[in-house]
Amino acid sequence: MLISGIHSRPKYAGLRVDRSGTHHIILSDTPRDIARMVEGLEPAPGPTEVWTVVGACTVTAAEERGPDGSVVRRAFRSRPLMFDMLGHRLARESMGLRLYAIGEEAFLWDVAALARSFGVDGDEIQLDHAGSERRRVFCVHCRAMTENVRTNIVACVGCGAHLTVRDHFSKRLAAFMGVQADAEVRGDLPPVEEIFR
Amino acid sequence: MTLSFKPQETFRDDFSYRNSDEAILRFPFPFVEDSYMYSVNIEPHVKGGPTPAFHAAFDVDEHYVAECQERAIVLAQDPSRCKVLPHMIEAEWDTLELIMESLAADYPEHFSLTRSGTAWTWENRPLGIRDSFTFGDATTLPYGPFEYITRQAQGDFTLQDQRDDNLFVDGGMITCQADWSLEFNIGMSFHEWHGPVPLAHEKGVFDRALKYLLRLQNGQPVRRLNWTMTVNPRMDTSPENYPLWGADRTTVTPENVGRKLHLRVELQTLFRLPRSNAILFGIRCYLCNLEDIARVPKWGKRLHRVLRDLDPALEDYKGLTRYRQTAVAYLSRFDDGADLSLGIQPDVDRL
Repeated sequence: MLISGIHSRPKYAGLRVDRSGTHHIILSDTPRDIARMVEGLEPAPGPTEVWTVVGACTVTAAEERGPDGSVVRRAFRSRPLMFDMLGHRLARESMGLRLYAIGEEAFLWDVAALARSFGVDGDEIQLDHAGSERRRVFCVHCRAMTENVRTNIVACVGCGAHLTVRDHFSKRLAAFMGVQADAEVRGDLPPVEEIFR
Repeated sequence: MTLSFKPQETFRDDFSYRNSDEAILRFPFPFVEDSYMYSVNIEPHVKGGPTPAFHAAFDVDEHYVAECQERAIVLAQDPSRCKVLPHMIEAEWDTLELIMESLAADYPEHFSLTRSGTAWTWENRPLGIRDSFTFGDATTLPYGPFEYITRQAQGDFTLQDQRDDNLFVDGGMITCQADWSLEFNIGMSFHEWHGPVPLAHEKGVFDRALKYLLRLQNGQPVRRLNWTMTVNPRMDTSPENYPLWGADRTTVTPENVGRKLHLRVELQTLFRLPRSNAILFGIRCYLCNLEDIARVPKWGKRLHRVLRDLDPALEDYKGLTRYRQTAVAYLSRFDDGADLSLGIQPDVDRL
């Protein structure tokens, strides 16, 4: 059974440029219409970068400037390359940076965890969910992560247990909890349904 | 009264755990009236109370040695059942001091603490431990200070950091839990870690409890009781090991329910810690099977009524679905419908 209405489920309220920041980085897990999805980009709030995972190995993360020169764009082959660049960047950052992340939930909280490890926390970072509802699931029995889960029941990639995906979310792990569905009566499983589209 | 420990007891495999008559009478029965619903049932943790389980800051009973051994077994298999985030080191020392001072004061025949500046000597006679160490220097102890002392205490413990008008569960020793995971929950805020609890959020229970706890004062600890049920006297009903104990829930029959099914009570205590301003949360677990509960006539009758009338959402959350009716049928034979006194005291002084 999917236990719903659990209060550890994060709520998201959209992204709005924080003009108390001196410079801004907006991170997206796929190409999106950022100007439409982030409120307050006009007039330009100061140096602003938009980083996007495009999922193609022919791009580089070189800076591209828009026509007015104010917004810098960088394209990334993958999330790991974006996070690697972000780590290098945050290691050199000063006060005044504001981070914004938009995308699937696992992406958002991976960004948040990385930012927190560099002391970027609280009001300095905003997250907003967009795209698929699919989940990263943490197996409470073996601690393996099963990615991109769309169904109420999923086989754990670590121990093979059939996990019920609970609505209990850990920001630290950037994952939902998975608990063996048939631990009481082996094989007694509900029908598999796609519920995280 | 001199405690007689039962070091041979087990909480797994052959489940040889049993309660003596004295242990039954001191059980912290959790139901003050004939029905149960969540409330902010917090009261001062002062010495004295309806049973001797409330007579010490950290209650030690006949199961002490066996429970410390059980904890060591769990940690040997999964050392991360004890985990403390690095910024909580001051709270670790606070915890060590509080538990050592309390045990030595409440049970001087079993524990002693000698302090000379930062040179401390701790003696735990039931476990055969005598260690000299430097308070504040973790390298002088065999484990971190929090792990060191909670390996020598009954019940689980968590450490709550207070910041941003909230409490964060930033550490714990969790080996005898009622189905929650420290590994998953560590770092969560108060409402996040209580996320799965049904009904109580809507009743505002957690908002009020958090407000109350943020104002908790050093030297004025508080307590509450919580409860669930466990098949077999199994301490480690962790979600981590649910694949090992889940099937127990299908083994309850009308013939074995009296001995097999246990009321599991948590005596939860909260202490403000002096240096770190963190909160130490003790979750002391007591197990008593239905047959023994029913030896106290008031408790057998009251438990029958509470289980019979329990809200379905709580039945599901507490995992009672498969055996609740069997338990109600068993307990009904002890319930003549008589009026029962308010409060949890047994109303008898011998069995």
